[in-house]
Amino acid sequence: MDLISADPTPVPAKSSSSSASASASSTPSPAAASAGSHVNQPMSTKTTLGEKKSKRATLMQIQNDTISVAKAALNPVKANIMMPQRQRQKKKPVSYTQLARSIHELAATLDQKSSQKQLVNHVFPKLAVYNSVDPSLAPSLLMLNQQCEDRNVLRYVYYYLARILSDTGMSPGGGIPTPNWDALADIDAGGGVTRADVVPRIVNQLTSEASNSETEFHARRLQALKALTYSPSGNSELLSKLYEIVFGLLDKVADVPNKRKKGVFGTKGGDKESIIRSNLQYAAMSALRRLPLDPGNPLFLHRAAQGVSFADPVAVRHSLEILSELAARDPYSVAMTLEKLASPAVGALQDILHLNDVLARVALARLCHSISRARALDERPDIRSHFNSILYQLLLDPSERVCYEAILCILGKYDNTERHGLESSFRSFSRPVLHAAARVVQEMGKSRAAAFAMGLQDIDESVHVNAFSDVLDDAETNDSSHPEGIRRTSSISAGPGRNETIASLLASLMEVVRTTVACECVYVRGMVVKALIWMQSPHESLDELKSIIASELSDPAWPAALVNDVLLTLHARFKATPDMAVILLEIARIFATKVPGKIDADVLQLLWKTCLIGAGPDGKHTALEAVTIVLDLPPPQPGSMSGLTSLDRVSASDPKSALALQKLVQAAVWFLGENANYAASEYAWESATPPGTALMMLDADKMVAAASSRNPTLAGALTRLQRCAFSGSWEVRIVAVQALTTIAIRSGEPFRLQIYEFLYTLAEGGVQSQLSEMHLSNGEDQGVSGTGLGVLITPMLKVLDEMYVGQDELIKDIRNHDNANKEWKDEELKKLYETHERLLDFVSLFCYIPRAKYLPLGPISAKLIDTYRTKHNITASSGSTDPTVLATGISDLIYESTQPAPAASNSSGLDDDLVNAWAANLGDDGLLGNNAPAMSRVNEFIAGVGTDAPDVDEENVFSRPSVGYDDMWAKTLLENNELEEDDARSGSSSPDSTGSVESSISSHFGGMNYPSLFSSKPSSQATAKSSGSKYQSTYEGYGSPIREEPPPPYSYSESQSRESFENPMAGSSSRSYGSDDDEPRKSTVTRFGTALYDFTAGGDDELNLTAEEELEIEYEVDGWFYVKKKRPGRDGKMAGLVPVLYVNQS
Amino acid sequence: MKLRKGPLSIFQAEEARQRDDDDEEESIIKKESRRRKEGRKEGRIMILAVLFANSVGNVLIERFNGVPAEERLTWRSFLVKLGAENLKGVKNEELLVACHKSVYIVYTMLGDVSIFLVGKDEYDELALAEAIFIITGAVKDICGKPPTERVFLDKYGRICLCLDEIVWNGLLENTDKDRIKRLIRLKPPSEF
Repeated sequence: MDLISADPTPVPAKSSSSSASASASSTPSPAAASAGSHVNQPMSTKTTLGEKKSKRATLMQIQNDTISVAKAALNPVKANIMMPQRQRQKKKPVSYTQLARSIHELAATLDQKSSQKQLVNHVFPKLAVYNSVDPSLAPSLLMLNQQCEDRNVLRYVYYYLARILSDTGMSPGGGIPTPNWDALADIDAGGGVTRADVVPRIVNQLTSEASNSETEFHARRLQALKALTYSPSGNSELLSKLYEIVFGLLDKVADVPNKRKKGVFGTKGGDKESIIRSNLQYAAMSALRRLPLDPGNPLFLHRAAQGVSFADPVAVRHSLEILSELAARDPYSVAMTLEKLASPAVGALQDILHLNDVLARVALARLCHSISRARALDERPDIRSHFNSILYQLLLDPSERVCYEAILCILGKYDNTERHGLESSFRSFSRPVLHAAARVVQEMGKSRAAAFAMGLQDIDESVHVNAFSDVLDDAETNDSSHPEGIRRTSSISAGPGRNETIASLLASLMEVVRTTVACECVYVRGMVVKALIWMQSPHESLDELKSIIASELSDPAWPAALVNDVLLTLHARFKATPDMAVILLEIARIFATKVPGKIDADVLQLLWKTCLIGAGPDGKHTALEAVTIVLDLPPPQPGSMSGLTSLDRVSASDPKSALALQKLVQAAVWFLGENANYAASEYAWESATPPGTALMMLDADKMVAAASSRNPTLAGALTRLQRCAFSGSWEVRIVAVQALTTIAIRSGEPFRLQIYEFLYTLAEGGVQSQLSEMHLSNGEDQGVSGTGLGVLITPMLKVLDEMYVGQDELIKDIRNHDNANKEWKDEELKKLYETHERLLDFVSLFCYIPRAKYLPLGPISAKLIDTYRTKHNITASSGSTDPTVLATGISDLIYESTQPAPAASNSSGLDDDLVNAWAANLGDDGLLGNNAPAMSRVNEFIAGVGTDAPDVDEENVFSRPSVGYDDMWAKTLLENNELEEDDARSGSSSPDSTGSVESSISSHFGGMNYPSLFSSKPSSQATAKSSGSKYQSTYEGYGSPIREEPPPPYSYSESQSRESFENPMAGSSSRSYGSDDDEPRKSTVTRFGTALYDFTAGGDDELNLTAEEELEIEYEVDGWFYVKKKRPGRDGKMAGLVPVLYVNQS
Repeated sequence: MKLRKGPLSIFQAEEARQRDDDDEEESIIKKESRRRKEGRKEGRIMILAVLFANSVGNVLIERFNGVPAEERLTWRSFLVKLGAENLKGVKNEELLVACHKSVYIVYTMLGDVSIFLVGKDEYDELALAEAIFIITGAVKDICGKPPTERVFLDKYGRICLCLDEIVWNGLLENTDKDRIKRLIRLKPPSEF
């Protein structure tokens, strides 16, 4: 009788190799092998046709697969079910094929009692292990179905027919993965029967059975209907057939007026006829519930409403579920249909309250909920009150499931009764109950948070949030005193009591967490913590919550997913209540300190970011503190491990968490670098400190003091970052240096100088010995420069150097001008402006800065730059508003657009990357000299953007045939948005090569209808240098219309003074466009004027004036006119600058 | 030239924040509504899985409803792992709970067999507790006592039939013991 032989270990296992091998090992392998061969025999004899031989290999393969699964599934079973006398072969496993054969044979000999017994006791139960059976069994099953009388056999037959119907072939529903029977049938494994063959037959037979109205047959009718519902819903033909059957059945059984009223004795009472009817009602309702809901079909509503009064509880449940789903879509018609049932007079719905079926009551709660808050029913308060009253009665339901559902339904409309229910739940020992209760409290907290967010200080006011659901109540009473409702106490009297209940609720929640007796389940505790987070009000102390979380997290049982889930809850809570940023960040800090290994850096960064943005001015500091605290985490303790290398230390402790911590620290450092300026509200472009002030504070101590007094937030961040630049692992140090550079670029003085000094010493490598002994402990190769960071820092320092040099020169120039009392000439301004733009480009390579506002030359340059811009009609903001930069990020832009140009330049079919590498290395070698070529690649890789060292070197750039960021940008602009109006980024000088400068400028101004001198003489450049040739080819590549010919007569140039744009590098390079500059400017729109007074020129570019002299005004710049005289003056000059006030415009 | 991918810095974020937030929220809303729609389309399947495993973690019976084939393996191993970690020394029929996003899991131990139920939406931890209670009751009835693995396998066929009556197409169907007993013998649910 035993299904599985004496060996209890084996299991119907999964196909997963582990379990299969596990059970295989417990099976004597010879037996398995012999079983395999044994099974194969009958199959191979079947394939008699020669043409099928080729398929045999495949067949065997699949067969073997099947067998191995079967082997795993059914371990030693009596070898041959057909011959029980051969007990000695007990250990032989039964294969699927054997079972299938047995079914065929037993179906043929059904008249014998023993056959039926065999089927019920051996064959069918074993077959159940296979989730489905192959279609070739269907004929035998159908034969059994027709001929067999034995109920047990028939039950199995229906079971298997349902499995065949539900088996979609590709995705078995579970159990032993079944082979794809159709595929097997194709190669004749299943006797050539496919699902397509048998399914219609099965459906036909089941359909006819389901329609059989014989009384004795009705049990089978039920099962037939049930089996039919298993067929996949994709088959529309079958579906319509099913609808037909179900509704036909309901036509017959549902319309009879409610008999149950007669037999008040419940389901037991009643005559045979009504019982049969009720059974059929059940079958029809259950089937209907499984069919796709068609809201457009009024029959659904009609029948489901009838179903509420059915005698069978399961049928009632299904009707209610259908109704509640319909009500979610169309509450009005459902309410209208149920109007009579809901009224207390009829009480059909009220009866359900006493129905012993939990899910039925849950469905009722949902139904009442969707109807009672439907706006469509605003004019029918009577109906809504019926449903409301039922809902409130459900609050008192003995089943937690129903009670909680009702609580969730009326959330926001608080009542004390439900709290008591909840509190008692917290004393429950059942984990599901605890979990659900905590979840309900969490939902309460959410609605509370929503109420707060709506500006409602008191929770009970949230009634107004749900005002529309309360119109009914409000209609009955006035606003101030809350309605008694059904069971509610007035909120005024409940005022203090309510707060008490919340407090006690929280107290019991916390107790749940603490009393780990009933609740060692982390999921329950996780849910409770989430509930606490939601219930935490912004004005209450959070010490308790913090301590709870801290103690919770020290439990190693918490899975990472759950921890992150709680973090995300914090995030959601913050979004709901931004006031709580500080509190939430403090909690997040606990997570970072307690379980660094389990939290996802991305999740933490998301939280930081959201808090930083959302938090007020105070919050920002805390937010940043929360980030920096991560950096203070103990594990990689420098100093404590003096002789050991960091690698040893990592492996000594838990390597996984050490690694995770490392990543977390990296993330924190990066975040700090990117966002410290934001948090500290310290921006270079908003800084008021003149650069000179900082230069005077060269004493490091003074500087630090000044910095921290000025902006403690940023100073704090800097200190941490500086520490990281020393003490972290090399990854952290690299990120830290980058972060520092970012801050240096973005902050004003004295921070920039402070960082500059720090970086400088770091690059020199000498600083460590003074500042810390930490480097001793981290045990890594410090590299030639001591910290190993020199390579990385050099380009950064260069940028800062450039900036300071620029600033110095500017100050010098300004002094010169002031002393000499000279005015700024256009050329000087241009030079200044170009330096400005060049520096901007450098800086942009390291981090994002708003180009329009950023002043690399210091605030002092603002006025001059502005002058130049207005004079030349340059819109400064084009850079930062460019959508492509924001969308793709600068870095992407560089990366993506770097590729085409070198390919074009070499056009030798070289790999783009190779060319890039070559180009970069060339520059590197020229620049840094001591760098290994590969170093730059490493730098690029590690540093991401901007450490492409050659970009910052002035001397070498010209020989480097590579394309820079701006060049690319220009091209992208040209390609993508040629029409962009305000793209007069005249200063888009590339730091990299003149070629690219030219192309960028020409493309800019070509597109912008600007005359460009560069574009008019490409050929000379092209021949001059390699960069020129590249320039030319890129030129072609981008299909610029301007080539080898003077620019077309732009309308713009007609109306504006003709301008020439000088190569930004021209001043220091051999290239000169001086002649262009010297060209007198022409103007087509000429104004005239007369000199009012005599004026003596103060500089070379100024012009002597005699009163009454007639002048031609070319243009105005910053209070000066550039004028031309009709005839040369005493000094022989024809044109020059004169003060505006000296000229009377005519 | 590999570029580090990180979250947007505040500088970029500030400007892209609005758009970002919208996207984020939009996608969440979309996802949610899509999920709901799918739930409806899928014929309201809410008991996602019923799974029986033995003490060493081999699956004895599994019934997935509305779980894509590619996710089943994940669920299978997740559940087995969950059981292996938490079911040691748990009393018979003591319910344990877990949740993953909006999916609830209730599981328990019965004799040598552990039973897992996975559900969502309407089938939250309490409804699943209800269902698992019925299932364990049915299994006990069939096996006469908390089953050893051996006994469980002996009664495998009938357990499958019972399960078929209790969970039908992902929805809890019959909850009454007698009724289930009648139905697996092909008798009508209510006898006359």
